[in-house]
Amino acid sequence: MSTERDVTRIVRSWLRTDEYDFPVEIVDDVLARLDATPQDRLIWPARRFADMNTYTKLAIAAAAVVVVAFAAFNLVPRTGVGGPGVATPPPTLAPTPSPTAAAFPPAGALTIGRHSMVLEGLTVSFNVSTSGWISNGSFGVDRSPDIGPEGASFIFWTDTPVGVFIDPCAAVRGPSVGVSTAALADAVASVPGTDLVSGPSDVTVGGHPAKLVVISIPDDIGCDPQRFNLWYAPTPGFARYATALGSTYRVWIIDVNGTPVWMDGETFKGAGPEPARQLQKIVDSIQFE
Amino acid sequence: MDTDLVVRAQHGDKDAFGILATEAASRFFAVARRILRDRDLAQDATQQALLSTWRALPRLSDPARFEAWSYRLLVRACYAEGQKERRWAPNLRLLPMDMPVVDDGLSSIVDRDQLEAGFRRLSIDHRAVVVLHHYLDLPLDRVADIVGIPVGTAHSRLHHAMCALRAALEADLRPSVREAAQ
Repeated sequence: MSTERDVTRIVRSWLRTDEYDFPVEIVDDVLARLDATPQDRLIWPARRFADMNTYTKLAIAAAAVVVVAFAAFNLVPRTGVGGPGVATPPPTLAPTPSPTAAAFPPAGALTIGRHSMVLEGLTVSFNVSTSGWISNGSFGVDRSPDIGPEGASFIFWTDTPVGVFIDPCAAVRGPSVGVSTAALADAVASVPGTDLVSGPSDVTVGGHPAKLVVISIPDDIGCDPQRFNLWYAPTPGFARYATALGSTYRVWIIDVNGTPVWMDGETFKGAGPEPARQLQKIVDSIQFE
Repeated sequence: MDTDLVVRAQHGDKDAFGILATEAASRFFAVARRILRDRDLAQDATQQALLSTWRALPRLSDPARFEAWSYRLLVRACYAEGQKERRWAPNLRLLPMDMPVVDDGLSSIVDRDQLEAGFRRLSIDHRAVVVLHHYLDLPLDRVADIVGIPVGTAHSRLHHAMCALRAALEADLRPSVREAAQ
């Protein structure tokens, strides 16, 4: 049993030893936006307003209400209002920026349609044909916020993994296997403690040759699944770990003109065919631009 | 804090604000990252807080209070960004093995994972109080001022949060206890 002092010490230590790289571009981005960000100015100098008598303050306040009400009245669209009125200028269309690929679809629900992202420096797009998919804004999309038979999720690796764990529970990494999709697929198929369901198989994704490996997490992995590490990227420390016992992972490793691009989809224990079908549908829609 | 810089920035001096922003940004990000547990959300919160600071500076009556006042804007930005947070199933983590090895009472990776999970279950309101008090070392009356709550509420939130974190730490012991009893 931890004492209160122990918990305080542990929490303080945890908060202080967590270290994060500071994104230096923050300040530049903010300074670049200052010209478009006017500073607040008081309409009346506060001191002068405080010196006024009550009637003057009320008069100014009343005038302000009238001005605001008038402005609001003129700004509200008058759909359905007939008869003569104030002539309004014809609507103008704001210039539409030409579409550019975002690094990842912004966090939130994905609309039905095509979404793009940048993986390994390549612009990739995929189609969402049903509602319910959510982007986390940086690396994944998820069909259900809950882990369960109906759920499905993707990690699209902006930075392709280069190796797997040789002791998943102890987080011991095997050596990097390089950029060969065949070697990467073989490594995935041999993660200790996992069950190989199928593959590596030769498939095509977005018109490019790819390897597909399907593995699952058995019930006897020997540690909590969330401490069961699967594969890692060269970005220091980033690795995939299992979500739950019984999860199935479909790993597509695509050879885009010599550049490996990696995406893995997860379905959960008890899943019927539909979640996997949804994952495959998204993979089938992938296009490289 | 150089109050002259604050006064100059209040009067629209962008160079002065640039110096203030440069000084504040890494502190803001460190706090936001700890409250929000998400790099992208923390980055957005930091940017929003800095822009809010610039926008609202003319309304700051006491330039000497700039730091506490700007933290208040940061906490508000964290609340706003926290609304965007969603429960997320796919798992990608920064491996504990890449973290600095310090003899700090965090006996294992398990403690870090349990703390992380427990902390994420707290509301942003509770996380903010924990981070301001235990990370920035601010006394609870100043925490209350920054968050905009009575001091008693700050005490109550801190107590609730620490109880939850203790429960998270101890939860990991329970399977072992069950195994031992069998």
